[in-house]
Amino acid sequence: MTSTPKIAVLTAALCTALPASAYQVTDSLEVSGFARAIAGYLDHDSRRFEGYTDEFSITEQSLVAIQPTYSFSDKFSVTSQLIAHASDERDSGVEWLYLSYQPDNAWHFRAGKLRMPFFMYSDSVDVGYSYPWVTPPVQVYNNYLFPTFNGASASYFYSGTDFGLNLETYYGYFRGDLFLAGSRVDVETKVDDLAGLVATVSRNNLSLRLSYHQGDNQTVIPYIVPLKDALYANGLDASARSLESDGQVYALQAAISYDTLNAFYKAEWVKTVTGYDIAPEVIGYYFSAGYVHDDLTFHGTYSNSEYSEVMPVMELPTEPTGDPQTDALASAYYQAFATTPNGSLESYSVGVRWDFRLNMALKADVTLFQESNNDRSGFFNGAAGDDANATLSQIAWEWIF
Amino acid sequence: MKQLTTLFLSLALALCAGWHSAYASDQIIVVANTSDDTLMLTREQVRNLFMGASVGRDLHPIALPPKHRTRSLFNTKVVGLAESRVQSYWAQMKFTGRRSPPMEVGDEEAMLRYLNEHQNSIGYLTASTDLPDSLKVIYTTE
Repeated sequence: MTSTPKIAVLTAALCTALPASAYQVTDSLEVSGFARAIAGYLDHDSRRFEGYTDEFSITEQSLVAIQPTYSFSDKFSVTSQLIAHASDERDSGVEWLYLSYQPDNAWHFRAGKLRMPFFMYSDSVDVGYSYPWVTPPVQVYNNYLFPTFNGASASYFYSGTDFGLNLETYYGYFRGDLFLAGSRVDVETKVDDLAGLVATVSRNNLSLRLSYHQGDNQTVIPYIVPLKDALYANGLDASARSLESDGQVYALQAAISYDTLNAFYKAEWVKTVTGYDIAPEVIGYYFSAGYVHDDLTFHGTYSNSEYSEVMPVMELPTEPTGDPQTDALASAYYQAFATTPNGSLESYSVGVRWDFRLNMALKADVTLFQESNNDRSGFFNGAAGDDANATLSQIAWEWIF
Repeated sequence: MKQLTTLFLSLALALCAGWHSAYASDQIIVVANTSDDTLMLTREQVRNLFMGASVGRDLHPIALPPKHRTRSLFNTKVVGLAESRVQSYWAQMKFTGRRSPPMEVGDEEAMLRYLNEHQNSIGYLTASTDLPDSLKVIYTTE
């Protein structure tokens, strides 16, 4: 069954079977879930972004998810989350499966397949109802390396008399597709010793979130392997080593948010660094402000991301030598570096969200993207000389139950 | 002149009383079924407790349903977020597997009954509510 009929069948089944809120199947089993239907259009005749082109599409980000939770006791439970994406480009199936142990109000331990808590909304990025935008700022949220991991996490949430403190730490590993520089890279990735710490401190309605994440990454990039092997075979070890994609990867994040009854202000900054030469360092950030009037929220966001320059090892000649083998190797080697993401991607977005029912919201966003380096932004994959601007218009229907 | 002063004073008193009673009806009390007579919480603690945090004691928050006037007042005076933002917060917590929203009861009468019957439960009510001896006010809004 292709994704679109699959999602339609699932939605129909859910609508028929479930009431407006979480469904208590038995005393021990509760089923809840969420769905989003998103339509979008990119006003550019030669670019693609998140699958959107200049043809109206409703299948790129639409999804349905169900989340059954079975409680063995007050303290022990098992939870799963099954997602059906309308797009074939995204992985449908079991997003989560974990055991949960809550010995008291403050502590929470989980083990199994979990979502990565990289950034403020990265573990709820599929739950559109949880944030104001249709698509959270891509400069931060599309740079995250992978969405889930296998392992364990511990969290602690305590309130003092004049502050709140939330700490979360995790340890585990990841196997699967890697997201690098904003798009899924078709490579097998192994990340071991994956660990991180997330600290959120709040006082009144001001909250500060700081996090650090690291892992030991081994990635096989198929199109690089023959080149790397050829370089080693020709004794060009320094050049070959600069194409290695094994090493430490880490991400650093800071976010601040301030909420009042009728306004919110958010800013988030992230830096992702790899320990290898071929992958650029990337910094992404956004500022967002919103005005809340009854069930309506109006918001505006400025976002930017910048890639560092990657430097090839200058072992091979940069000018043609007349030796066909050397020239072919040199050309392929410098080309590999020349196609890594570079430059910056700025965007300006305005949007409105209408919470027309308790568990449903309608949203509309317009985002103007401006690239500084058209062919290497890592997001649009356009060609040099393309128009550097593109506007993405989206409407969304969000539902939780 | 004396009559005029009396009239003015009576009018001022009546206005004050009227204003005071309107004000009082917007006041919220946070009430717990606890054996700890010394227990008092700050606004920050009450807010965080109802957002899923621990205050270092075994307390189980109970909420009124969305759109209930007392819940709206609690959102305004204690949580500091509109209902739609509270719902978004719980969607994020629930679907990231972190915390679940407080249990809800239908109205203030049900709240009073539930709190009365469950040790260590904590809920909010309008300030004018008559409380049984088992329940203790641990926070009052301004």
